[in-house]
Amino acid sequence: MLSVARKAFTERALAEGLLVFALTVWWWSSRHLPASVLPPPEAVASRLFQILTTPELNWHVLVTGGRVLASVALALAAGFLLALLAHTVPWLSGIVMDRILVWLNGMPSVGWAILAVIWFKVSDLTVIFVQVMILLPFSLINFAEGLKNLDREVIEMAESFARRRAGVLRKVVIPMLMPYGVAALRVSYGVCWKIALISELFGARSGLGYLMLQAQAVGDVTSVLATCLTIVLLFALGERLLIYPITRRVRRDLAAKEP
Amino acid sequence: MPVAFGACKLPSTRALPTHAFTLLVLAAWEIASWHTPVFLLPGPAAVAKSLWALISTPAGLIQTGASLFHVGAALLAAFLAGTLVALIPYYVKGLRLAIDGRLTPFLNAFPGIGWTLLAILWLGLGLGTVIFAVGIILVPFMIINIREGVRTVDADLIEMALSFGANRWRQFVLIVLPSLLPFAFSAIRISFGVAWKVTLTAELFGGTRGLGYTMNVARQELETPQIYAVIVLIVTIVYLGNRLLFDPLQRRLQQGSRSPV
Repeated sequence: MLSVARKAFTERALAEGLLVFALTVWWWSSRHLPASVLPPPEAVASRLFQILTTPELNWHVLVTGGRVLASVALALAAGFLLALLAHTVPWLSGIVMDRILVWLNGMPSVGWAILAVIWFKVSDLTVIFVQVMILLPFSLINFAEGLKNLDREVIEMAESFARRRAGVLRKVVIPMLMPYGVAALRVSYGVCWKIALISELFGARSGLGYLMLQAQAVGDVTSVLATCLTIVLLFALGERLLIYPITRRVRRDLAAKEP
Repeated sequence: MPVAFGACKLPSTRALPTHAFTLLVLAAWEIASWHTPVFLLPGPAAVAKSLWALISTPAGLIQTGASLFHVGAALLAAFLAGTLVALIPYYVKGLRLAIDGRLTPFLNAFPGIGWTLLAILWLGLGLGTVIFAVGIILVPFMIINIREGVRTVDADLIEMALSFGANRWRQFVLIVLPSLLPFAFSAIRISFGVAWKVTLTAELFGGTRGLGYTMNVARQELETPQIYAVIVLIVTIVYLGNRLLFDPLQRRLQQGSRSPV
């Protein structure tokens, strides 16, 4: 037992050691390079702190976070509806899976970002539109996979007992889809933070992407790095506070339903 | 895999509505373009003309070829780097948490556009910036997939090899590499689609050549047909790459792995 604990301790020490080592290398090389190439870690850290705490800057953080949450929710709903449509109306399945999905899947995110600005001008909805379109294939694929693997026999039984189809959907189909919904949520959430910046570069006058483009235009590496680290931080925070609890809850509910 | 084969050809009951849908979208696009200014929505013919120029004129081919080169070079670099990193925890067990719990999540969460803008500030505009930015965005995809493969390396086989006196290099070539192969394939397959999309972004901001660069010029000059043409070209390349390259390869790989060892 002792050796297992020791092994875990060594791993932990090496993992944190890597972090300290990376910071040291960064700190050391920043002393020999101009701040316009590599600013020292403490400058980036204080900038990061500024972004998170000063009112006029953390407003951008809130705007970006709000857009991410809204887009993920909308993309999940739209992906579910499209998958359900393809599943229940046979002649639509080719259209959804072999045309719409192929197109959404291959479409580059910058393409959406540029087209959305041409079509809708600059606004909050433009950003959300871009994010939803980028996330849609991920949620569609997951829900379609879930519907494909539905247990036919259970549904047939439910239909023969139930009085209304809506009841079957709510009580039987949706619980069976939950694991796939959670997968769709996790993937969409991760992707959305990554593409949040791109969707804000052209279509927004607020948010972290806008902030970063402004910083890049004047060669402010400190702010560019601090913005990226803000994203990494917010992503990890949201995952701990929101995504993990939801995942655990769904898994527990499913486990409780097992006979 | 009957499902994979079936997906190549649509059953006839589904084929008709699907093709009708394609025609309907094209017709709606054409009609809508009559009533909207060309910088907002150019018609299919204008976009097709622009697309043809990208794949037939020397000027267009230079841009398309440059993107192809960027994608290829970045894929190769990311694959090599990702494989190396994924193998570290296999040989140095103590570094497992450092790689799986620290380095990979960090690379995975770091925004791609951030790498691009940093690369521009560090390396200036040009080839190096595009390949660096695209490569480092692809590295986490490679690490995650190949790490899965490394986990499946059969400890019993390694033990047997040891008892036959195979040295580390022969173990690596005869046991580790073959078991990584399917995972390396899916790593490259996933990265191929991602690579085309992020190359466009990297070229748009940090390139001096390529389809993304073409798109940026078109954006500034409001040459909207050009923007649409680049998008159609990328979607087509990703689709054809999957259909003509990766689907057949995957089928061969699956057949190969099913034959008795």
